[in-house]
Amino acid sequence: MNRATIAILLAVVLLPFVVRPVIAAEIWLFAIFGLGLNLLLGYTGLLSFGQSTFFGSAAYVAGWLLKHYAINVFFALGIGIGVGALSALLVGYLCVQRSGLYFIMLTFALNQLFFFIAYQWTSVTGGEDGMPGVPRPAFLGLDFKDPMLYYAFVSVLKKKSLWVMKRIVESPLGRILQAIRENEVRAEAVGYNVARFKLLAFVIGGAFSGLAGVLYAMLFGIVPLEAIGFVTSGNVVFATLIGGSGSLYGPIIGSFVFIWLSESMSVVWVRWPLLLGVAFVIVVLFFRGGVVEAWSRLGDKVRLWQSSRQKA
Amino acid sequence: MAILETKSLSKSFGALAAVKDVSLSIAAGSLHSIIGPNGAGKTTLFNLLTGTFPPTSGRIIFNQKDITGTPANHIAHLGLARSFQRTNVFPAFSLFDNVWVAAFACGSSWKGLVWRKTDRYPEAAERARQALSDVGLEKKSHQLAREISHGEQRQLELAIALAAAPRVLLLDEPAAGLSPEETRRMVALVRSLKGRYTIVLIEHKMDIIMSVSDRISVMHFGSLIAEGAPEEIQRNAEVRRAYLGGIAA
Repeated sequence: MNRATIAILLAVVLLPFVVRPVIAAEIWLFAIFGLGLNLLLGYTGLLSFGQSTFFGSAAYVAGWLLKHYAINVFFALGIGIGVGALSALLVGYLCVQRSGLYFIMLTFALNQLFFFIAYQWTSVTGGEDGMPGVPRPAFLGLDFKDPMLYYAFVSVLKKKSLWVMKRIVESPLGRILQAIRENEVRAEAVGYNVARFKLLAFVIGGAFSGLAGVLYAMLFGIVPLEAIGFVTSGNVVFATLIGGSGSLYGPIIGSFVFIWLSESMSVVWVRWPLLLGVAFVIVVLFFRGGVVEAWSRLGDKVRLWQSSRQKA
Repeated sequence: MAILETKSLSKSFGALAAVKDVSLSIAAGSLHSIIGPNGAGKTTLFNLLTGTFPPTSGRIIFNQKDITGTPANHIAHLGLARSFQRTNVFPAFSLFDNVWVAAFACGSSWKGLVWRKTDRYPEAAERARQALSDVGLEKKSHQLAREISHGEQRQLELAIALAAAPRVLLLDEPAAGLSPEETRRMVALVRSLKGRYTIVLIEHKMDIIMSVSDRISVMHFGSLIAEGAPEEIQRNAEVRRAYLGGIAA
């Protein structure tokens, strides 16, 4: 086991004792959401400002089925992953036709489109009031209504998601996506259909978002309208950038910082997003690789300082 | 026998005819150079051959097959690889990864694309190593592309094209921006590739062209104005006029 694995295991075990289990579960499900975005943002170099489209769609569809058809938990997760991937296929197909600013605006515009569908379709989504009454059905005698047990469930899924993502970024696909980030023209010239690969990244990212969306719906028992809103899309970008885009563990650290800050600060100080803004500015100006980069640079400094002390 | 042919190939950008009615025939195994003053349409011709954009009219025949309009990402798989005039590599990648990406693209199988580890493709790795050693960069394979010198980046540019194991290499000014010493090495490199590949070379430096080419085509304002062996081209009055702007001729 390497150090990152140990650190994550420790964090998983200790977290529900530091914050409420519900918040701890939210941190890890948001991390899954961030993992999906990071494949686009960090590895492929595509800034998607519409990730909540997939997160929210999956939450609504799986939540609806959970509520009205009492489907099993794993079936709900499967549905969420499927809906996430499918909506990403649709949105991605349109977005990868353009690049740069137009790409970003398209992801945003389509997110708004989905948002207004959810807003208007009150008979299903409940509109502004959200869709309450999403159950957390028991499975094989495991009562997921117990917050601690549900937390453990989310933690295991986060661990699995991380493992899957690790395999993907270490596969040829991961390297091809990075090649596209580095130089799209050359990637095309050496024989890759760049648009097709971007779309694949979208679909995989959408599947992760969908999984996170279902976990979210079951965690809070409700799908609020904001689950499909642009603020959620922005939050996941924020969290990923703060943690460190382009590194595998960045989104996990990022969602920890983001959710923990928002939950703990929002009760003591209404203007807490100011802090987030400051953190964001610091990251963009000084640590483009987020917390992950700041940490490794700190490590270098400490080692330098130690070796200079030994010489003296 | 011709491996690559163009028939009355033309490309216009609005009112500008960048390539006009070009009919070329590249013999298999030869080194065929395309020369001409700046703006003659040489790079546009390469872009047409590699599917960067489709021609306005005319046809491209590769290996007896009409490949006109084939998109860029298919061209490499057919066995037609290019290097770029402006260095066009993957800056944050190691040199090995730069060529590996090209080797994998044209490898025999993409099995395990999303799951297998990148080091589990011995065929692609071997071809990548071979391409790096062909251009003399095997000792730097772990360095990042953005950290090596301009001359080495030009070599890497060539290695990426080689890693695709092409039948025809299209080299767009491989010696652009090189010092005399580096140019000498690049010429030796291109010469060493001669015979192993069919090479189409765009170049400005006359000494290179005359010493390595089997055949030379001359472009001027988008059209072919002459074609022949190096000695013939040197004697051609029209070519001199094109290059010297009518002063010396």
